[in-house]
Amino acid sequence: MNKILPAVLIVLAAALVAAATIRSSALAPATTPEGAVQSLLGHVKNHDAPAAYRYVAKQSNTPFPDFLRDVFGQDSNLRTYSSLQVFNTRVLHEDDREASVRASLQWASAVGAVYDTRDMKVVREDTGWKVIWPVAVQPKVPPQVIPVNYLRWDIVTRGSDDDWGAQNVDAPRVRIISMNPVEKDGNFILLGEIENEDTVPGFVSVQATLIGKDGESIAQEESFDKISHILLPKEVSPFRIDFPNMSRDRVQSVHLQPNAMLVAASADPVIGVLHQALQKDSSGHAVLVGELLNQSGQTVNIPHVLATFYDNAGKVIWVSDGYVDQSLAPQTPVAFSIGVRDDLAAQVHTYRVTVNQYSRDRIQ
Amino acid sequence: MIPKSVSAPVRAIPLLAILLVALAVHGPLLLMQLPANSYDANTHIFFAGHYANHWFSPWNEKWFGGMSQTTYPPLTHQWIALFSHTFGLTGAYMVVQLIVILLLPVGMYRYALLWIPEREASYAALGTVFLGSLAMLVYQSGQLPTTTAAALTLNALPYFYSWTRDGRGMQLLKGVAISMAGAAAHHVTFLFGAILFALPVLWLSVLDRKLSGRGSSVVGVLVRAVVFGAAILGAAILVLLPYFMSLRQNPISQLPIPHGSRDNYILSPHSGINFWIIPMGALILAIPYILFRGSAERRLRPLLFGWYLTTLLGLGGTTPVGRVLLGRAYEVLTFERFTFWATLMAMPIVGLLAKELVDRWGRRGILLLGVSAVYSCAMAVAWVVFNPINSGDFRVQPVIDFLNREDHAKYRYITLGFGNQFAKVSTYANAGSLDGDYNSARLLPELTAYGAGQLYNSKYYGTAGMESLRAILKHADQYGLRYIFVRDRYYEPLLAFAGWRQAEIYDNGATSLWTKDDVPPAKHIDFGNVVPPAWQGVMWGIVPVSASLLALIVVLIPNRRRSINTINFPASQETTEISLREAQ
Amino acid sequence: MNLIRAAFLFTCYFCSTLCLAQLHGPGRVPAGTGATLQAAGSGSSILYIYGPGGAAKRTVQRGAINLPGEELQVAGRYIAIIDGNSVSFFVTPASLQNISFVARPSRVPAAAKGAVQGSAFLFDAFQNLYLPTTKVSFRLGTQGSAGEDRTVSSNQGVAWVQLDSGRRGGPADFAVYSEGASVRRIVQQVAADPCGIHMKALPASDGNILVETDPILDCAGNAVPDGTIVTFTSIDASGRSTVDARIKRGFASAELPSAPVATLLVAAGVVQGNEIHWGGVR
Repeated sequence: MNKILPAVLIVLAAALVAAATIRSSALAPATTPEGAVQSLLGHVKNHDAPAAYRYVAKQSNTPFPDFLRDVFGQDSNLRTYSSLQVFNTRVLHEDDREASVRASLQWASAVGAVYDTRDMKVVREDTGWKVIWPVAVQPKVPPQVIPVNYLRWDIVTRGSDDDWGAQNVDAPRVRIISMNPVEKDGNFILLGEIENEDTVPGFVSVQATLIGKDGESIAQEESFDKISHILLPKEVSPFRIDFPNMSRDRVQSVHLQPNAMLVAASADPVIGVLHQALQKDSSGHAVLVGELLNQSGQTVNIPHVLATFYDNAGKVIWVSDGYVDQSLAPQTPVAFSIGVRDDLAAQVHTYRVTVNQYSRDRIQ
Repeated sequence: MIPKSVSAPVRAIPLLAILLVALAVHGPLLLMQLPANSYDANTHIFFAGHYANHWFSPWNEKWFGGMSQTTYPPLTHQWIALFSHTFGLTGAYMVVQLIVILLLPVGMYRYALLWIPEREASYAALGTVFLGSLAMLVYQSGQLPTTTAAALTLNALPYFYSWTRDGRGMQLLKGVAISMAGAAAHHVTFLFGAILFALPVLWLSVLDRKLSGRGSSVVGVLVRAVVFGAAILGAAILVLLPYFMSLRQNPISQLPIPHGSRDNYILSPHSGINFWIIPMGALILAIPYILFRGSAERRLRPLLFGWYLTTLLGLGGTTPVGRVLLGRAYEVLTFERFTFWATLMAMPIVGLLAKELVDRWGRRGILLLGVSAVYSCAMAVAWVVFNPINSGDFRVQPVIDFLNREDHAKYRYITLGFGNQFAKVSTYANAGSLDGDYNSARLLPELTAYGAGQLYNSKYYGTAGMESLRAILKHADQYGLRYIFVRDRYYEPLLAFAGWRQAEIYDNGATSLWTKDDVPPAKHIDFGNVVPPAWQGVMWGIVPVSASLLALIVVLIPNRRRSINTINFPASQETTEISLREAQ
Repeated sequence: MNLIRAAFLFTCYFCSTLCLAQLHGPGRVPAGTGATLQAAGSGSSILYIYGPGGAAKRTVQRGAINLPGEELQVAGRYIAIIDGNSVSFFVTPASLQNISFVARPSRVPAAAKGAVQGSAFLFDAFQNLYLPTTKVSFRLGTQGSAGEDRTVSSNQGVAWVQLDSGRRGGPADFAVYSEGASVRRIVQQVAADPCGIHMKALPASDGNILVETDPILDCAGNAVPDGTIVTFTSIDASGRSTVDARIKRGFASAELPSAPVATLLVAAGVVQGNEIHWGGVR
């Protein structure tokens, strides 16, 4: 008993620790294409870039710094604020030498969950299956001076010791120029557009209150990030207000409240939206693709694309948005893609894309 | 055999000397207010702050848009509140913590006497002062209620032993009174820790039943254990009735929140160091001795098994034991406290080891023990200092001043990137927050539905945290959430896109205030019937603190008959010493 | 004994109030000018004055009691009491001295009907609302234009007017005059919606299409301010490209991607401009 019991307890503890600890080596060569993708993404999830890079095929011609930049971000872009949270893989095609694997990725980012689907080509190399990870080569903008002399509006407001009748500067005039309520997947959604009719910039938001059959307020939501909050003079922004789990039958009327405030603002940056087109993605879903071009001289860290879709009567039938995980360097086009409801794609007659942005060094 | 040239101590260290050592070690650290930056200290101070101002009001509007104070046992908070009128809130926290630290070696001494002779028990009690796990709980975790409940549990166990073995009613009364105070200090320790501690003691009672003058049977011991259990269960229900009613009305159904103590310590070495290596300290070297000595002696085997199981639980996700035994509770509990309990359970056997080392090597043995003890404590304190748990102790006074001036308290606020300094802000600010530091008290669906913890730490909970933050920001208008103080630029993109604007900066730009100007003033949030009625507030304000006073009074009642039995303790067979053991 | 003493005191008090303390006030007096009370009898007594601006108590000699103007600055009903006798009198506002002028809005589109509102609150030197009906003149005019005048009568100290904004952009003087008092505010008359936006397209040096508007004016001929968004759109075989350009120095320009054939559109807010068919038939 003197020696048996301690030995039993030690062995038992070792066995219990082993049961919870021992797994296949995380750095073992991948024996299947899906395994290679899973290993690579697993290391990305654990923020272990060197280990993840071991699963990148040589024929990708992707140097490690480019891989690092692509996966973990640079220039304070959205990827630098993101970490891979969940991924699922599915083999689309496989033979002896190469395979195609689709990975559904969920990133936890500073703006919430970001979902991405990536089709990856996987090839067999001497050391096992490896993932081809091409990285788009960023064109180098030659050193230059970009003169930026856009307007900036500053505000001097009434002093607290002024006479009560003394004049102040009024809030900008804004107007909701269209509104369309729709129901989708059990959610009640308000779509529309708001215009700054004034000659000064405005900080706007739209709040909606649903009035039920009995005349009582039944829900209140606001546009949140489905709007461009800073509107320059004559600028139009789409907005979308979602009421989760709300049936249209319960709604008697809607009270829309646009709020506008005079704020200091700058007229730059100017972001062009080029080559917009409605397409099908690799999964067969409708997407709106295009390129963003920052025509100013400072990097835009996080672009946010808002798209308004109209039917042939000019009515807003959907508003979708998406954050672009690459930053917009000056004069450098960056591709974007945002989803369109498949059931509405056929009804889309025209669309309008606006770009909202966050620049780390330019908070107004 | 002690060499003649060396005068090693052969008598127990006086308890007073041990308390002076505890005072000398922890007194300066507490005077420096080292625990003020720990994880939970500000949370407990926040609770105490409410009692200091509204002793009988169980509803606190300052966190989560409204929360019930009855979701957390109040004893330590109420004692802080009482002392705060003299020492201020932070000073009162330190005073109560010091009292608990002094109570712990006393409890260990009495607990160890159940297993080992007096001299070894005094070594165990002295060793408790230097435990790395204690230092971590006090200076890193700030788990004042856990340490309080553990100290009270240790003090109650000798009565439990004595009652189950001898069946003397006064012992039952004393044991129940102390246990009731323990339950009022910390429910988790009461539910889990007390059982882990009590089962070995019950086993010991069965083994020792023949030593009783009454010649108790096994059944008699077990029946008395059931009576004791039923009595403290009833007492706990009485003292924590509002807590249990609150729990019944609003069961903890939120999704599990990740915690490092549930990691596999081998696969996550930092968690391993933080939650096991540092808390164990030099005790790791004693593990072989604990195993062999605990196995070798019949009376120590219950303690060995108790320690073994508690240690396995303390390993968190390193073994499947916790997940299997605790089930759903595994995802709710944190496991650093189990390691603390394991180290406490180990101390009686370590006391034996200390005695052997002193007897065999004299001063060298004492030196070795002293270095090991100091190393354990110093490493833990150093770890806390060199691995700060948050971004540091920055000045939150400008934030508090802003919230308390003009009509800013009409609106609610949250902080982002403030770490545990949030609780400090909320303690002294008049405005209410939608965030809070005690997850079990949350009621808003935006907070409970995502499996994330505090909003101020949203980014560390990944998608769950950020979605929870988004949900709250979306409903800023309904909740009157106008002010957001940001000390981590990670959150700025979301705020900018969601319609918040930077308004002010503090601390040379390290902290910024973001506002949403169209938010109306905060209204009272209707949580329905979860708001405790007034009678619960009165009960909550009277019963727990009375329980602690009752415990104090009954413990001061002298025993009618002190039984000092000479025990044929197996260890003594190897020496010529006469071992005396006090059984109370 | 106590009862007898009380009856004696009451009788003395009653006689004294009947015989000694007749009090007369001035009736109406302008604010800040002072007044005289006449209290019958002689000797000193305590005077209490209650008015809308406060209350005062002091010892006075019966006879003609002067109330200084500083005590009667707030218009309204006053009550003076001496030895149980009281008299009330009214302090009326003094002459018109100040005007509080609320002009709305601070910015107004040019040539907008009834878009400018002004409300004048008339006060005397002591901030009493000047209640007598009086003529109040409003004038809204920009430099170099005749402007618009309107005279109205005040009612209970308030006069207001609603005017059309001028056709010309720029700061407009909005002034109010009455009995020598005047206040001036500035109303910024800004360009209204753009009118007849016209653009032209040229090949840019890098092969793209350079689009540029003519100076953008509203229907009254005012230049639309710089910073206003003008959206250029190009629709070609590769899709649609848009640039939200800002008006700079009166006109807006942008570069759109090159395309052999494209339709070019321009708009500002909800106002559409001309359309150009690039590379095709115009």
